[in-house]
Amino acid sequence: MTVIEINGLQKNYKDHKVLDGVTLTVGRGEIFGILGPNGAGKTTTVECASGLRKPDGGTLRVLGLDPQTQRRELLQRIGTQLQEAALPDAIKVGEALQMYASFYDKPADWRALMEEWGLAEKRRARFASLSGGWKQRLFIALALVGNPEVVFLDELTTGLDPSARRLTWGLIRDMRDRGVTVVLVTHFMDEAEALCDRIAVIDNGRVMHEGSPNELISAGQAANLDDAYFALTERTV
Amino acid sequence: MKGLGNVIAIELKLAMRDPMSAFFALAFPAVILWVKMRNGGTLPGGLPTIDAIVPMLSVFVTGLASLVVLPATLAQYRERRVLKRLRATPASSTMVFGAQWAAHMLLAALGFALLAVIGLIAYGLSGPSNPGQVVLAWVLGALSLGAIGLLLGAVVPSGRAATVVGLAIFFPMVFVSGAMSARETLPESMRSIGDWTPMAPAVQAIRAGWEGQPISLPALIVMAVIFVVAGGVALKAFRW
Ligand SMILES: Nc1ncnc2c1ncn2[C@@H]1O[C@H](COP(=O)(O)OP(=O)(O)O)[C@@H](O)[C@H]1O
Ligand SMILES: [Mg+2]
Repeated sequence: MTVIEINGLQKNYKDHKVLDGVTLTVGRGEIFGILGPNGAGKTTTVECASGLRKPDGGTLRVLGLDPQTQRRELLQRIGTQLQEAALPDAIKVGEALQMYASFYDKPADWRALMEEWGLAEKRRARFASLSGGWKQRLFIALALVGNPEVVFLDELTTGLDPSARRLTWGLIRDMRDRGVTVVLVTHFMDEAEALCDRIAVIDNGRVMHEGSPNELISAGQAANLDDAYFALTERTV
Repeated sequence: MKGLGNVIAIELKLAMRDPMSAFFALAFPAVILWVKMRNGGTLPGGLPTIDAIVPMLSVFVTGLASLVVLPATLAQYRERRVLKRLRATPASSTMVFGAQWAAHMLLAALGFALLAVIGLIAYGLSGPSNPGQVVLAWVLGALSLGAIGLLLGAVVPSGRAATVVGLAIFFPMVFVSGAMSARETLPESMRSIGDWTPMAPAVQAIRAGWEGQPISLPALIVMAVIFVVAGGVALKAFRW
């Protein structure tokens, strides 16, 4: 079943054409990876899908809803971790979860979520005092606190040390195992290869390749996704 | 509704944890009270100074929370992308405004209560003659000044700019409106300018309620109109 349908998505910033017909579909229960060089339009794509930016053209459906005209309804059913966002410095972990839970009609039990994601020991820690790994873990929990059907994670593991990154992979698999559809923006090939059921490679404002990691590896005639990515993007440049 | 109560309680805690906000709302007005009361005495007309100064400073502290602290919080939330994260949730801009307003007005109410307690204990303050009228006037004052603060917070580019603009509006207004020096001691020219500021109706109505004089209906109407107009423009101008 299709959860996200993006068709010919266009977005310009002034006269800079960033998205030039992005087309992709994401099925229910998938971990769907979005790869591509910096500035390719990955963040723009997922922020259009989560109703944060207004597309200039094309059609977009998430859970059958239009992110522009049915935004409020959609926001009740999706969760988001943004590439650039923060919480107030002085807010405590428990307060942030409680506050975010109160925004949703049918929230998850934020205390249980805090336990499950190992945040209980940091319950009284202020946001500003958390390390990058703890902040990311909190952002994941906040993305899940509304009991979403789809979660958008934008460069969740950028800036984490290798062990925190591995730990986060486990958390993302847990999410999928609970039936949540995950859209994962990343530029780590090992991460995409390890986690994703399917991948779209975006470059020059379009989806250049789409398929499972294995399909991309064969298409690139390579041994792993890293080599395949370079073989494929080389060919298209 | 339960959700909004939660958000307000947390935002109030955040304001109290911020040393600047706590200083502006609690310590600073208390210091002004002390400075003003060093000479004590009575105002022209025979009213004990303390019975005018506490109601006046209640507008001072509400103005400070509304025009300086609130816009700075909102603008800093925008600058730091706290609002951007909120925008990705079902929270509406009306809810963000409502929670910020309520939290900052509770902060101001704490400041007001502190002034009243100090006044009672140290300076022999008389209780309000007409408490209901004082509460009504204060709430309308908080709504009108708060709406102006929300408007500022909606349009200024950064937290720093919000503080500068807020102080630049707050200080002249507080001097000429009679929130810091009693109206009856101000020169006529200053008073006539002050009467045009949005703080003047609040000062007049709260003092009237405290002293047991009839409240002026136009003052209440002016505050309600400021609230509706500034609040409406703020919601229109708001950027996450
Ligand atoms: N709000 C904006 N205003 C102007 N240009 C933007 C804005 N957001 C992104 N861009 C530009 O659009 C391009 C794509 O950005 P983005 O979607 O963030 O890429 P990615 O996430 O793939 O790195 C970049 O060139 C970026 O500079
Ligand atoms: Mg990005």
